[in-house]
Amino acid sequence: MAKFSSGNRIPLKNGTAVVKNKLGEGGQGNVYLAEMNGCEYALKWYHTNSLKNPAKFYDNLINNIEQGSPSPVFIWPKDVTEIIDGEFGYIMDLIPSEYKCFSDFLLTREKFPSVRSVVNAALNITNGFRELHRRGFSYQDLNDGNFFIEPQSGAVLICDTDNVAPYGESLGIAGKARYMAPEVVRNLKAPDVMTDRFSLAVILFRLLFLDHPLEGKRTLCPCLTEELEQKFYGKIPLFIYDKQENSNRPVRGVHCNVIKLWDLFPGFIREKFSCVFSQECLHGQKPRPSDNEWQIAFTRLRDCIVKCPCGGDTFVDLNEDVSFCINCEGKIPRPPVLISKKYAAALFPGNNIYRCHIDVDSDDYLHKVGEVIRSRNRPDVWGLRNTSGYDWKVTLKDGTESILQNGRVQIIAVAKSIDFGGCVGLIAM
Amino acid sequence: MANIYDDVVEVARRTMVLFFVVDTSGSMEGSKIGTLNQAIEDVIPEISEISQSNADAQIKIAVLAFSNSAKWITPKPVPAEDFSWDYLNASGLTAFGDACSCLNEKLSRNAFMSEITGSFAPAIFLLSDGEPTDEYIDCLDDLWKNNWFRKAIKVAVAIGEDANKEVLADFTGDPDAVLTAHNPEVLRKMIRFLSVTSSQIGSKSSSVGKANPDAAPSKQDDFIEQVQIASNSGDFAEDEVLW
Repeated sequence: MAKFSSGNRIPLKNGTAVVKNKLGEGGQGNVYLAEMNGCEYALKWYHTNSLKNPAKFYDNLINNIEQGSPSPVFIWPKDVTEIIDGEFGYIMDLIPSEYKCFSDFLLTREKFPSVRSVVNAALNITNGFRELHRRGFSYQDLNDGNFFIEPQSGAVLICDTDNVAPYGESLGIAGKARYMAPEVVRNLKAPDVMTDRFSLAVILFRLLFLDHPLEGKRTLCPCLTEELEQKFYGKIPLFIYDKQENSNRPVRGVHCNVIKLWDLFPGFIREKFSCVFSQECLHGQKPRPSDNEWQIAFTRLRDCIVKCPCGGDTFVDLNEDVSFCINCEGKIPRPPVLISKKYAAALFPGNNIYRCHIDVDSDDYLHKVGEVIRSRNRPDVWGLRNTSGYDWKVTLKDGTESILQNGRVQIIAVAKSIDFGGCVGLIAM
Repeated sequence: MANIYDDVVEVARRTMVLFFVVDTSGSMEGSKIGTLNQAIEDVIPEISEISQSNADAQIKIAVLAFSNSAKWITPKPVPAEDFSWDYLNASGLTAFGDACSCLNEKLSRNAFMSEITGSFAPAIFLLSDGEPTDEYIDCLDDLWKNNWFRKAIKVAVAIGEDANKEVLADFTGDPDAVLTAHNPEVLRKMIRFLSVTSSQIGSKSSSVGKANPDAAPSKQDDFIEQVQIASNSGDFAEDEVLW
């Protein structure tokens, strides 16, 4: 196989990359640091022997480049190299050092500073896959090595996108049993969107709870052979919190994180995981929750995060008068809530509202349209600032109506509802 | 500030033991044992890195040397990041049968494979340049009855032309899992490649989606496939026959 050294010039379809040094090597190929037009990129060079069908793989790369990245979260191929002696590669952006590999979080080399960053990461991953699947691609090989997360903000980068292919195309990529859908583990099906949904659920579960959703009492065995992996992840998988069968519950002293964290998350999130890992969904008798359902669930989860006086972020139950802080167990009275058709958002100082809260047709959880602030002079007075760029119509509790211009603040306690232009949000105290 | 993620703990990982089973008989003296010592020492940091960044399993290392008899250099498997390679000396006979017996004894839940969080099957790397000088056949037969051994990734390097490759193939169970090195350069490359690749494959959840319906994958097959890719790419091509 070709091995490059510093200064080697690699012809690309649209330019030339100059190799600087080797960054790493794996089963599929080597990765080099390369320079093009004064900027640094990563150059992945394949061992063509490691590819089942190199010609198909090359064409797929070109197709992916032409189609463009479905979302900024993907480290997408930028350009392919020319074929040199039957071998080839492609260039992509480098991963900035502030992004940490997901496995580093599992190994606690990195920790999230708050539940808000975890929930943001979950939203960003889910949305990335939703956009990928909407563009007609499937990812095929999700595992703890392909995600990079910035711990503070929860910003996400997803790499290894060279295996991404249009629906129905199989590049012959094999995944890790622990992350693959049971039907893939059993070799009954090639990876596709439905199997991606399973892998996504495993990633999301581990993001929140660290431990593995199918590993409990039953899977603790002296030697995990390939046959046992087939059994635990393929033929007879069993969720650790399965509602009917309790023989695979997490074990104290081994699965410490999930035991501690599971009950701290709101019921609707636990319910989503119970559903995706139910026997029916595991065995394909029921469709798995879609990317969109996950995105809505995590948007709702973010909507109920507030800051406790103890300083930690916690969840509040928007249907209950009082919730208890997940950090200090202190009582948290329910804050005012903005109720729109699909969402209910806690109007708590420091929280924002987004496009999805004011537009029934939108699931945009990133585009901020308003922010909840606290009066500097009277901290018990909270306001909602309109940052949407256009006017809102506010109806007060006494029935009077007023216009809330962009940039202006409405005192929440006196407001009854807000017409965002076609969509009305009610304010419940 | 309180945060529920402050006191999360490292996820429970399985363990994968990488065994080096090294022939230290008299014929290994000189450049063979010298190259071997240096090559294994050099690859340890890489294995340690694979272990430290791996959420599936941690890698431990165990070393068994055999000459007049077999002797464990590590009284128990040592985490890769804490392991340092003691240079081995070469002298004496080739008690391969004794090595098989020692390995058989420790490949047990009551010995080396006693991790609470469980293990993956081990990877066993045999390096030898000669011919067994003891009655090894029954010992090897017994070893093959050990399930840990049967499920292990097994590979051997024959150092030079005098190595009995048939014995090595009987040990690995597969002639494709026996490579021959005729000079220091190639031996160094093989030690690095085989240690790293067997560690990578052995310490990760198995690779699925390739076999027939409901057929379990085989890490040994995945390993051999990687070895063949490297061989076919000319990675172990030899310009010079020294041994």
